Amino acid sequence: MAQELNKHNAEKIQGPDAIPVQLTINGKAQAFQLEPRVTLLDALRNHSTQTGAKEVCDRATCGACTVLLDGVPVYACMLLAIEAQGREITTVEGLAPDGKLTKVQEEFIACDGLQCGYCTPGFVLTVSALLAKNPKPSETDVRKACSGNLCRCGSYPRVVEAALKAAGVATASKCEVLTNV
Amino acid sequence: MKAFEYVNAQTPESAAGLIGTEGRYLAGGIDLLGEMKEYIATPARLVNVKNLPTTREISKTPEGGFRLGANVTIAELAAQADLPAGLIEAAAEVGSPQIRAVATVGGNLAQHSRCWYYRQRDLTCLKRGGSTCYARDGENKYNAIFTGNPCISPVVSNLAVALTVLSAQAVVWRKSKEVRLTMAELYADAWNNPLAQNSLQPGDLILAVEIPAPVAGVRSSYLQVSEKSDFDWALVSCAAAGSVNEGKFRGVKIALGAVAPVPFQMEEANALLEGKPCNEASANAAASLILATATPFSHNGYKVPIARALIRRTLLNLAK
Repeated sequence: MAQELNKHNAEKIQGPDAIPVQLTINGKAQAFQLEPRVTLLDALRNHSTQTGAKEVCDRATCGACTVLLDGVPVYACMLLAIEAQGREITTVEGLAPDGKLTKVQEEFIACDGLQCGYCTPGFVLTVSALLAKNPKPSETDVRKACSGNLCRCGSYPRVVEAALKAAGVATASKCEVLTNV
Repeated sequence: MKAFEYVNAQTPESAAGLIGTEGRYLAGGIDLLGEMKEYIATPARLVNVKNLPTTREISKTPEGGFRLGANVTIAELAAQADLPAGLIEAAAEVGSPQIRAVATVGGNLAQHSRCWYYRQRDLTCLKRGGSTCYARDGENKYNAIFTGNPCISPVVSNLAVALTVLSAQAVVWRKSKEVRLTMAELYADAWNNPLAQNSLQPGDLILAVEIPAPVAGVRSSYLQVSEKSDFDWALVSCAAAGSVNEGKFRGVKIALGAVAPVPFQMEEANALLEGKPCNEASANAAASLILATATPFSHNGYKVPIARALIRRTLLNLAK
């Protein structure tokens, strides 16, 4: 009976008007009223206060909207907010909740791994997820992991350097990094 | 995006019932949401099929083959070391890490055309029901060099190419029962019909892909050439499977991607390779046969030599 009831409720048609949506953003449960068409990116930026994830291409191409879903980088622009319910959503704001920057963030600053900075939250999250999974990555590992993040300023060599330094992996000089591109 | 209703289906039967005439199935959503943001697709309802039983699992079939649930992500597939090498290589080339984390096996197979005239919301090209294929006399760099209809949009699913040579079958929920389609059958309609992306009928849902049990000595290989080394569509892709016994090709199958509306294969080329020595001359002979009927357009003649090189490399990989 309970199973039947669950099934019945699970197949309930929701929307197109706003429906209650519960999201766990940076460890905090938040309640929203969202139409099913609202993407996670839209929910974060325009229905919550977490503007760290950026909207650029809005087509799963640039990586500026990258957030972590249960620790895994995904594009928030191509995920419906209702489908992120029950998952741990981490935005760049969640990396340093007390204002103390992480090692990755510090190395992005030290290595000057950005110019305009619009892609930076995405890169920082992608690199943070990589180091959580693979604490001593090679340069190739970093490049592969970052292949879904674009930087139109072209800061890639310094992003790679920042990632490797944050991992405590010896890096080649900047010139050598550039010739390996 | 146009507003829509959303519902979580629990069984294939209810999913097929819920989709109606105006609905679409939602899995990873990478392709579908892209179409919806361009108003190319304006479904009134999305039926989430990610909770259908066993569709997120990779399991063994009773015959010793693999059953890949349609909702297995591309990342999960790429990390499954006991699958045939060609399939893992094809999965690893799909999109970016962020895309592979959510995109699914079923979605990869069922994704729609990437032709930029099709994806341009202000145009109604032949594939969208208009009267003109703008690519034929336009910017056709990424389009097909083989086609059986006036549309020259190529199939872009990496997995379809690898699965073709592995003799895989798609398990499709059709009219309240499971039917099995070979990869050739799954795409056959796209060869003849400019409006078709594949042979799926309204309401059809891919539930799984089944790969026959691996045979000792049979290897597979997938290679693609793209403009970028990562996170790019294939300009041309090629997969081969088969064995090399005492230096001779046995039971080899070869297929090309991104050159035709279907994973392009030629039985005559497979037959030609049977018993031939595994060397460049045999591979080139097969490539010449396959490419003899290619009809490149103004900007995509470069695909022919790339296809030739990839046919040669994938075939020679079978001996490695």
